[in-house]
Amino acid sequence: MDWKRTREPADAWHMTDDLHVEHGKGDPFAAAIRATRMSMIITDPRRPDNPIVFANDAFLRLTGYGRDEVIGKNCRFLQGPKTDKAAIAEIRAAIEDKADVSVDILNYRKDGSTFWNALYISPVSNDKGELQFFFASQLDVSDRKRSEHRITADKDRFEKAVKERTAELEAALEAQTTLLHEVDHRVKNNLQMISSLIIMQSRTIKDEATKRSLKTMLERIEALSTVHRRLYQSKDVSRFDVSDFAKDLVTDLLTASGRSGIKSKLELEPIVISAEKATPVALMVNELVTNALKHAFKEGPDGTTAGRIGIKMSQPDGHFNIEVSDDGVGMAAANGDASFGMRLIKSLARQLHANIEWRDAGPGTKVVISMPNEPQQKGTLS
Amino acid sequence: MIEPLKVLIVEDEALLAMELESLVEEAGHSVVGWATSSAEAKSMVDSTDADIAFVDIHLTDGPTGVDVAHYIGERKRSMVVFMTANPKRIPDHFAGAIGVIAKPYTMNGLTSALRYLQEGVRRPPPVSQRPAGFTLSPAFEAVWAPAA
Repeated sequence: MDWKRTREPADAWHMTDDLHVEHGKGDPFAAAIRATRMSMIITDPRRPDNPIVFANDAFLRLTGYGRDEVIGKNCRFLQGPKTDKAAIAEIRAAIEDKADVSVDILNYRKDGSTFWNALYISPVSNDKGELQFFFASQLDVSDRKRSEHRITADKDRFEKAVKERTAELEAALEAQTTLLHEVDHRVKNNLQMISSLIIMQSRTIKDEATKRSLKTMLERIEALSTVHRRLYQSKDVSRFDVSDFAKDLVTDLLTASGRSGIKSKLELEPIVISAEKATPVALMVNELVTNALKHAFKEGPDGTTAGRIGIKMSQPDGHFNIEVSDDGVGMAAANGDASFGMRLIKSLARQLHANIEWRDAGPGTKVVISMPNEPQQKGTLS
Repeated sequence: MIEPLKVLIVEDEALLAMELESLVEEAGHSVVGWATSSAEAKSMVDSTDADIAFVDIHLTDGPTGVDVAHYIGERKRSMVVFMTANPKRIPDHFAGAIGVIAKPYTMNGLTSALRYLQEGVRRPPPVSQRPAGFTLSPAFEAVWAPAA
């Protein structure tokens, strides 16, 4: 259809909004805009307060107003108390900049009910680039907004539930950590008190043999103390670095012996064992080192004792090996097979599924302990 | 010979205080007082001339040992060493203390620490090896045991 021939003055459409009026009747675009289901209006920014100069029927249906109630008015009558101020500001800024804007805004009908308006505004300029009108379309997206709100509410509810649960778990963990620290603190204090009791009792005893027994007992308890001091220093309380412990223990035993002529030789790989193995390993190492200190070295003619105690820890291929060696008088001369210390070592070895072997190192003795040490996984300890 | 130390013990456990006193005296030092609470400790700090105070974190009036250390630090007359089974409660700045002897310490560990502290207080920096179980505060680490 050649509609150009019947073309009327360019602004004929806004002479009236009546579909049946003669002016603009021949313009199919004007007719389409009048009849479309999409709500549309046109405003005139050249007039004061940018009033509506055209509103189609769909706009009137959507908003509930009559044509005479909207023509000549600024669109802000669609806003109400719950309309988002930021959305209004966004629209205002676009109009001032003569720019497009697309925004979802809560609008009010004549009867006070609300609807979500997917508003689109675009400026219309003439050939010279002068702003003539604003064209605005409104789409009721209340349904979409409702489901968006529902999804947001669901999400908020889930997030809140997750947050609450997380807080509960954190509180439970916190309580457990506090309890662990409390128990740890008590264990350490009690070990300290046991040591103190033994030392004080020992001071009152005259008999040398009894004194020596108490000293041996103190050494064993101090070995346990050293384990406990080291045990909770790391973040992971289920694992224990046995090489750090060995260093502490040997240094302590050697200085305590007061025999500066005896040197230590430490070859310690950093080896981590499970916490439950820490105590038996510590007691074994303590027995072997104190045994060597007591029996392996003979006093020289000048009253001093010279010698060397070596500790080597390594972990070849799923195993954990400890070697305690000395360059002293050798096994034949140091006989303690029937002693409590020896029984202790053998029982602890059984507990750890360890092989233990005394070798003649010529000079001296070498004790080799070998036990399985599977790589420890976090949380495998029951 | 280095002059012995005058020691103030701030410890709520009688048994541990008793034993600590014996060990301190056996090592040739003297104990000038024993306090079990922070209030008692503060008044003793003012009334004695201790060179060094061994301060437990947990006292009869709660975890007030750090507070006591601050008080001693402000008076600038004595030095502080914490003695605690719970070193994690010590703030990072150590409240001005030299360091901490972690409980449970061994008899030898304590004797060695006393020797080390005697050297550190009288003729810093100490020459003895730092004993196992004794940790220096960052400030004292920088002065007494600077990394080569």
